[in-house]
Amino acid sequence: MLTKDFIGLVSNASGLSKKDTELLLTTMNAIIRENLMDGKAIQLQGLGAFEIKERKERAIVHPRTGERTIAPSKNQLVFRPVATIKDELKSI
Amino acid sequence: MAEKLSWTELRRALAKRADVSEKTAGAFLNAVQAQLLEALKSDKQVKINGLGTFRVQAVAPRKSVNVTTGEEIIIEGYNKLAFTPEAGVRELIESSKVESGEPKEASAPEIDPIQKLGAQAEEIVDILGDLGQSPKEEPEAEPVVEEPAPAVEPEPVVAPEPVFIPEPAPEPEPEIIVQKPKKEKKKGHFWRDTLICVVILLLLLAGGYFFLRQELSDIIRSFIKPAETEVVAEEPEAVVAEEPAIVEEEAPETVAEEPAEKALIPKGKISQDQILAEFLAVSEEEVGPTDAYPNLIKVEEMHEGSRLTWMAKRFYGAKVYWPYLYDANRDVITNPNNIDTGTPLRVPKLTKAQLDTTSAAFLQLKQEAEAACR
Repeated sequence: MLTKDFIGLVSNASGLSKKDTELLLTTMNAIIRENLMDGKAIQLQGLGAFEIKERKERAIVHPRTGERTIAPSKNQLVFRPVATIKDELKSI
Repeated sequence: MAEKLSWTELRRALAKRADVSEKTAGAFLNAVQAQLLEALKSDKQVKINGLGTFRVQAVAPRKSVNVTTGEEIIIEGYNKLAFTPEAGVRELIESSKVESGEPKEASAPEIDPIQKLGAQAEEIVDILGDLGQSPKEEPEAEPVVEEPAPAVEPEPVVAPEPVFIPEPAPEPEPEIIVQKPKKEKKKGHFWRDTLICVVILLLLLAGGYFFLRQELSDIIRSFIKPAETEVVAEEPEAVVAEEPAIVEEEAPETVAEEPAEKALIPKGKISQDQILAEFLAVSEEEVGPTDAYPNLIKVEEMHEGSRLTWMAKRFYGAKVYWPYLYDANRDVITNPNNIDTGTPLRVPKLTKAQLDTTSAAFLQLKQEAEAACR
């Protein structure tokens, strides 16, 4: 399902116009991004949480040359669904 | 990362930013919450621009062993919710490393990094030596080192020193590692793109050649025999009652001379024309005007790669008139698609009535000619 279809669903459920829904969705995404950049996690009630997780640096071997180097640590965006969601989706 | 933006805070921020009431924002968020779940259940995948894609992924059943009894058991398959951030968002988060990553390194792993880094020190120095790079960006690395330092000081005082020297290494190191593959990727793209461009260009050239080869061969021929084309160009226009210029190309050697003489014909040198006509009388008898086509523009030998349609285009200005060429040469042509090279072909002069492509006579002729192709 693409963003457009999802906007349609949300607009139906909330009674807002599609245009407003789209605006709110993009604004929400912007807020989520900015807060993540500030190092904050975002808790979405009943859904889960967006968090930034650090991937530690690790030794890697270049497959062709056999050269050993260290891959830098980096941050990753992860989504941790809440237990209820996990359970609901387990068997569909 | 301890801080969390709660549902309420998100609602408030959303209301403020989008300039709507908190109630509206709340209704929107609740709808998002409910609909995302519904959408995932029905569609298994929801893409949200500016964030990423939620996907329900199947986990296959697998075998395991009961730890207490040693019995083999099967863990049943289930679905899990996976989230893949959008490429732009992912890069954004990765680039936030400098701000959010460093304090974490300093605070959380207090015991580990010093020992680890100490062990890695030699390795890193080796690699640095190999690369022949001097450590960069010391100012950035310093704050990191200074924080773990107090934790170590109570222990042996010597320890921090080896840590301190290699510390800058991880900073420039990763940069090299990260940049290399990126460059290679770009290079690969570049070569792939150039290859595609070259292939497209070749195809275009080939197409152009195929389409224009008739014109090209005409141009080339006009360079070789500049005079001949003049005649060809002038004669169809001037449908004069004058004696038709019947020229037979006897042999390739004489080709160069003949056009020169022909070029003079329209300028009124009849005597030469007559001499030429006498000179060629023998071949004229072989391939001369017929009853149906008393006037000929010329007699042309079939050369390799030529077509009746192309000749028609050259002499009459349009390919459609090729049936006349067939009709005038029925005695030598059995299949218009397959004419022996060197076959002398009459190119008849067409009357105005014959140029009408809708006339019954022409259509009849065309049908006959097309039938002969099969």
